[in-house]
Amino acid sequence: MRFDTIIIGGGLAGLVAGIKLTSEGQKCAIISSGQSALHFFSGSFDLLGYNGTNEIDNPIEAIAGLDAKHPYAKLGASTVAALANEAKDFFASMGVRLNGDASANHYRISPTGELRKTWLTLDKHFACDSLESLSLGKTLILNIDGFLDFHPHFLSDGLKRQGVDCHVASVTIDELQRLRTSPTEMRSANIAKVLHKDDAIVRLTEKIAEKSQGFDTVILPSVFGIYDSLMENYLVERLKCNVKLVSTFPPSAPGIRLQMALKQRFQNLGGVYMLGDMVTNGHFEGNRLMDIHTANHKDIPFEADNFIIATGSFFSHGLQAHLNSICEPIFNLDVTASGERQQWFDQNVFETQPYMSFGVVTDSNLHPQIEGQSVENLYAVGSLLESANCLKEASGAGVSILTALKAANNILKR
Amino acid sequence: MLSKNNEYDVIIIGGGATGAGTARDCAMRGLKTLIVERLDFTAGATGRNHGLLHSGARYASTDKESAEECIKENMILRRIASHCVDETDGLFITLPEDDLNFQKSFVEACLQSGIKADIIDPKEALLLEPSVNPELIGAVRVPDGSIDPFRLTISNIVDAQRHGADVLTYHELTDFIFDGTSIVGVKLHDKAGNRTVEYRSKVTINAGGIWGYKIAKMAGATVNMMPSKGSLLIMGHRINNMVINRCRKPADADILVPGDTVCVIGTTSTKVPHEEVDLIRPTADEVDILLREGEKLAPALAYTRILRAYSGVRPLVASDDDPSGRSISRGIVCLDHETRDGISGFITITGGKLITYRLMAEWATDLACKKLGVNAKCQTADICLPGSEKHKDDNAPHTTAYKAAESRHGSLTNKITTGDNYSDSLICECEGVSVGEVNYAINELHVHNMINLRRRTRVGMGTCQGELCSCRAAGLLANSHGCSQRAKEDLASFLNERWKGIAPIAWGESLSEAQFTSWIYEGVCGLSLTNNEDIQ
Amino acid sequence: MDKKIALNISTSNFEQCLKCTICTVYCPVSAVNPDYPGPKQAGPDNERMRLKNADFYDKSLKHCLNCKRCEVACPSNVKIGDIIQAARIKYSTDKPKLRDMILANTDIVGTMASTFAPIVNTVVGMKPVKMIMDKTLAIDHHRTFPKYSSQRFESWYKKQAADQDKFDKHISYFHGCYVNYNFPKLGKDLVKILNAIGYGVHLLEKEKCCGVALISNGLIDQAKRQALLNTESIRKSVKEQGRTVLGTSSTCIFTLRDEYHHLLDIDNEDIKDGIELATRFIFRLIDSEDVKLAFRDDYKARIAYHTPCHMEKLGWAIYSTSLMRMIPGVQLTMLDSQCCGIAGTYGFKKENYEVSQKIGETIFKQIETLQPDFVATDCETCKWQIEMSTSVEVQNPISIIADALDVEKTMKLNKVNL
Repeated sequence: MRFDTIIIGGGLAGLVAGIKLTSEGQKCAIISSGQSALHFFSGSFDLLGYNGTNEIDNPIEAIAGLDAKHPYAKLGASTVAALANEAKDFFASMGVRLNGDASANHYRISPTGELRKTWLTLDKHFACDSLESLSLGKTLILNIDGFLDFHPHFLSDGLKRQGVDCHVASVTIDELQRLRTSPTEMRSANIAKVLHKDDAIVRLTEKIAEKSQGFDTVILPSVFGIYDSLMENYLVERLKCNVKLVSTFPPSAPGIRLQMALKQRFQNLGGVYMLGDMVTNGHFEGNRLMDIHTANHKDIPFEADNFIIATGSFFSHGLQAHLNSICEPIFNLDVTASGERQQWFDQNVFETQPYMSFGVVTDSNLHPQIEGQSVENLYAVGSLLESANCLKEASGAGVSILTALKAANNILKR
Repeated sequence: MLSKNNEYDVIIIGGGATGAGTARDCAMRGLKTLIVERLDFTAGATGRNHGLLHSGARYASTDKESAEECIKENMILRRIASHCVDETDGLFITLPEDDLNFQKSFVEACLQSGIKADIIDPKEALLLEPSVNPELIGAVRVPDGSIDPFRLTISNIVDAQRHGADVLTYHELTDFIFDGTSIVGVKLHDKAGNRTVEYRSKVTINAGGIWGYKIAKMAGATVNMMPSKGSLLIMGHRINNMVINRCRKPADADILVPGDTVCVIGTTSTKVPHEEVDLIRPTADEVDILLREGEKLAPALAYTRILRAYSGVRPLVASDDDPSGRSISRGIVCLDHETRDGISGFITITGGKLITYRLMAEWATDLACKKLGVNAKCQTADICLPGSEKHKDDNAPHTTAYKAAESRHGSLTNKITTGDNYSDSLICECEGVSVGEVNYAINELHVHNMINLRRRTRVGMGTCQGELCSCRAAGLLANSHGCSQRAKEDLASFLNERWKGIAPIAWGESLSEAQFTSWIYEGVCGLSLTNNEDIQ
Repeated sequence: MDKKIALNISTSNFEQCLKCTICTVYCPVSAVNPDYPGPKQAGPDNERMRLKNADFYDKSLKHCLNCKRCEVACPSNVKIGDIIQAARIKYSTDKPKLRDMILANTDIVGTMASTFAPIVNTVVGMKPVKMIMDKTLAIDHHRTFPKYSSQRFESWYKKQAADQDKFDKHISYFHGCYVNYNFPKLGKDLVKILNAIGYGVHLLEKEKCCGVALISNGLIDQAKRQALLNTESIRKSVKEQGRTVLGTSSTCIFTLRDEYHHLLDIDNEDIKDGIELATRFIFRLIDSEDVKLAFRDDYKARIAYHTPCHMEKLGWAIYSTSLMRMIPGVQLTMLDSQCCGIAGTYGFKKENYEVSQKIGETIFKQIETLQPDFVATDCETCKWQIEMSTSVEVQNPISIIADALDVEKTMKLNKVNL
C-alpha cells in the first residue's frame, strides 16, 4: 500500500503533521498503537514555562538559554516563533478556540489549584495573566456529586491562598446518580457520555444555575463533551455568572475531544488513520526507509516517500527501558541516555529525573540516526526527541506541535 | 483519652509487632499501658520483611530452639490471627545444583523440632504449585504460610485499646526520666504538636527493634546488636500460592512468599552501621541478585512485573557472653536491665522474628508483671485478635470491594459503611479499597497521613503504586482532617515515598508507569514537594 | 540475563496495564450500563484479584460485548477483551439457558430452519409468535429474525463445484452460517468476483459454525470441538492444498484466526496467516498488480461504511473500503467507528435489548442524517442491527463489488478463459 507520507504514532504530534500534509494534498496514513497521551490533557498547550524552578514569561526569548540538542534550539528561536503562530492558526482553522501568545506565557489553574505557566488554553478553561488581574468575585466550585477525579477542596485551597472568596458544593441529576451505582465508572468520559444523551445537559444546567445563584463565578470540572463543544457553549450561554472549567484527573474530556477532532479532520482530508496496530519493522535501502510492516497487515507492506515517527516517550512505548539500556523499539534509532540505570533517576521524585530527557538523536532537520547515519526520509517529532525535559520545562505540547509542523513543512518543501 | 496524670504501669517504646503485642498482653493483664511510636506502626522491620509465617523448618538444622518456637507460634497465629494468615503451606525444593543429601538431614531436624515435613515427589510438587521450577529434583512440604504484618500489628493495637491501653504515634523518645538509677518515665517529642511531653511509668519496655540499641544506650545500657540489612522485591501479582524455599543452607533470595495480591522474593543480607539504619535503600546489585536467584525458585518471576524494592533491618543480637558479637542468635532476647545493668524499671525485648512476636510479648509482659507484683496469666495465645473472630454475614454484598475488604479486616469488615453509592465507590482500583474502608481506617485505625492509610488498607500498594488512587485518598484525608494544604503536602510526600521503592526497579513497564504518574501529578496538577522533611 | 527479565514486562499480559483509564473511554457498555464494571476493572484490575482468589470473579462480566474496542484503544497492548472473556470461560458457573443454546447453535437451528424456510420465516415473523418467544425464551420481540433461505449455499455450490476445478488458481471459502442459511447471495457474489479474476472457489472438507456465539454463550466444550474440526479442515486446505481460506464475515474470520488461539487455547499459529477476509485477499492481488478489476460505468451509489468491532480489531477495514473506493461511481463516507450494539447474540436477548439500542444510538443517528443509498459493512449481525434500527439497507462490500463488477471486462483484463 502506497502513501506519500506515513506517520507512526497518532497522538498530538502525529495528527498535527498528518493534517498539515493532507491539507496540502498529500496522501497520508497514520498508524497508532492505541490512544494517545492527549487523554491526559490539562486543557492547555505548554510551550516553555520553566527554567528550573523559575517561571518563564517569554518562551521565545528563553530559547537562547536551552541546550543545543533541545528540539527548540535545533529549530532556532525565530522558527519557533513562526511555527507557534502557524500552530495557533492551525487550531483556529479547525474551530479549536485557544487563547494565548507564544511571547507571553499566561497561567492555567491546575486541578489541585496551582498556577502553572502555559502558552495556549482552551477558551472556556480557567486561565489568567495573574489572579489579581481576574475579578472572580464570589466564587463557587461545583463538583458533580460523587465524582472522585475532581478535587474541589484542593482547588479551593489553592484559590483561597490567592485571596479568592471560594465556596464548594456539588450538583447532580438522576442519570448521573444512576452512573454512580458503578463503584468505578463515574469517570469524566462516562459523565460526558451521559450528559450527551437526551436533554440531560439542559437539566443539569438548570441545577447548576440554581446552585450558583448569588455567585459571580462558577468553576466546574471539565466534563462537558467528548464529541463536541456544544454542551460547553450551552452552559456558558445559559449561566448568568462567569463559567470557568478546570481539567480533571484522567481521562481528560477536553483531551479526548481534541483527539477526536484532530482525527476527524485528518480523515476528512482523506487521511487513513489505523488504530490499534503496531509497526514491527522497517526496510531500509542506504539512508532511506523504503517500507514498513505492521502487526495487523503482516505481509502487506506500507510504502512511502517520507516517514514520520511520533511514537512518544516511555508511557507510549516510543522509548523502552531495559534493565541497563534505553532503546527506540521499532527501528533501533540512536538514543541519548546516561549509562547505568542508577544514573537515570534522582531519589526525589520531584527533582529533575534524567530519564525524562532521554530520547532519539536527530540532526538539525529532525532526521533521526542509526549508528550515526541520518535517515534522510525519516523525521522524528514529539516527546520521543532527546534533550527536552517536557515535564520540568512545561514544553510537551509545544515540542510536539512545532516539531510536527516543522517536519511536515520540510517534507512539503522537498 | 490519655491518662489524666500521664501515669502508667507500663510504657512500651516501639510500634512494631513486638511492641503492639506487648501492649495487648499488658493491657489484657490489667496493666495501665501506654505504647509510643516515633513514626507509624509497622514503620520498621515489622513492615519490611517477607510476611512469612515460618514453620520453623528454615532454622531446624541450625537452631532447634528457634525452630520449636516458630512452629508453636505458627499454630497459635493460625488460630488467633486467622484474618492475617494465609495457610498456604510451603515447599523446600532441591534443584539440580543443590545437594539432595541435605534434604534427609533437613527432614530429620524438622521432625525433631516438631515440624511436619513430608518428602513429596517433584511431580506432585509441580501439581501442588505449578509455578515452581520444573527442574526440581526434590521437594519437602512444610506448614509455612504467609502473614500480613500490617494487619497483625494494627489488630494487636486495636485489642490493646479495647483493653484500655493508650496509643501515641509520631512521638519520639528524646530522654528517659530517672529517679536515681531507676527509670520512671519518658520524655517524648510530639512531632505533630512540635512540643515535648512527659509520661511516667513503673516499668518501661524497650521494643524498638534495631532502634532498641539506641534506646538502651539512652538508658545507659549496652545491647550488642548487629544491624543486618535485607532487601526484597514485590512482584506485580501472585505467581505462587505456596511458599517456595530452597532446601539448602540459608542464602540470598531463597524464599518466595505469596501475600495478598502479590508475592515477595527475598532476601539479601548485608551488615550496616547503626548510623545508617534510617537511610538504607535497596541497591541495583541487590535487585540483580534477587532476580537472578528468585528465578530459580519460580521461573515465572523472570516474566513478571516488579512493583517495588524495599529494605529492612533485622535486629540481630549477640549473646551477652560473647562480646565479640560473632555468635548471633535468632532467638528471643529479653533483658532485665535491673539485674543486668543495675537500671531498674527497664526491660529490653528484642531478637526473635515476626512470627514469635507474641511469645516475645509474653516474656516481656511476664517480666513486667513480676516487677509490678501482678499475678495475671497470659491469655494472648487463647483469645482471638479483633478481626479473627468467627463471623459470617449472609447479607454481605458480593462486590469486589467488600470481598477485598473482608480479606483485609476479617470480622471487623462490619465496621465499614457499605450499601450507598458514595461509600461503595472505589478509591484504589488495583486493590479494591472503597471510600467506606478508607473512612473506617481514618476514623478508627490511627491514620494521620497517606502512608498510614496505605498500611491499614493497601491504598497505593497495587500495580499503579498510587497513580490513580492517591489523590482521591488525599481528598478524603483533607475532608476528615479539615486541612487541604496539609493533605496536598502529604500527597506529594506519599508519591515521593512510593518512588523510593520504584526507582530501584524502574525499567520496562514500571518506568512507563512512573512517567505517567509524574505527568499527572507534577505536570497536570503542578504538585511539588514543598515540605522537604520526609515524614517517614 | 534473559531478555524478558531485562524488560520488566510480564508475559502475564494484564500486568502491562498502566492504569491510564483510556480503555474506559471506548467501552460502549459502561456508560449505558453501570452494572458492568468497565474494561479496566473487569480486565486487568480484577485479574490480579482473581489470581489471589477465584471468589473475586464477578458475574457482571457477562455484560462485556467482547467488542475488543478496549484493546484497540489501549496504548500498552493489553488484551483486555481476551482477559475478560478468558475469565468468563475459566470462572463462570452459570449454566446457559435454552434460549442461549438456541441462539448459539446457529448451524443446527439453521439446518432445521432452512429446510422449512417459508414456514419458519412466516411463523417467526408473526406477532403472536414473537411475543411467545419474548415471554418464554426472553428473545426480545423487537428483533426481526434473519430470514432463512430455502436453498442453502452449500446446496447451490454442489452444482457449481465441478466448474470451479477448471481454474488455474484456487482458494477455499469459509462461508459461515449466515451465507449458508440466510443469505447465499453473498457467497455467490464472492464466487462471481473470484471466478472473474481466475480463482476457483472451493468449500472446506468440513465446516462447522465458527463458534463465536457458543463462546459468548458459555458453551465452551462445544465451541472447542467445532474449532478443532474447523482448524483441521483449514490446515488441510492451507498446508496440503495450498489454498488460502477466505471469509466474507469479519467475525467468523476474527474468531478462526484469533479467538481460537486466545480463548480456546488452540494452536493455529502455523495456519493463521492462511485465513483472511476476501477483501484483503483481493486487495493484495490488486496492490501487487497481479489482478485488475473493471467496473460498470452505470454503477452509482452513495455508501456509508460501518466498521464492525472485530474489523476494527483486525485493522482490515482499509481493504474493504479501498476496494469500494476503486469503483468509479461510488461515493464513500466513513461512519464513526463505534459499536452498533448487537454484538452477535447479545442484542437478541430481552435483558440486553435496551442497552444494545442505546449503544448503537449515535451510529443510527449518523446514518439517518447522511441518508446514504446503503450502508456497507463486513459483519452480518451489524447488518441486522442497522437494518432494524434505521431505514437504510445494508450490504457486504463483496456484494457491492460484485454488483459493480464488469465481469466480461475483468475476465479479459486478467486473461481468464474458460
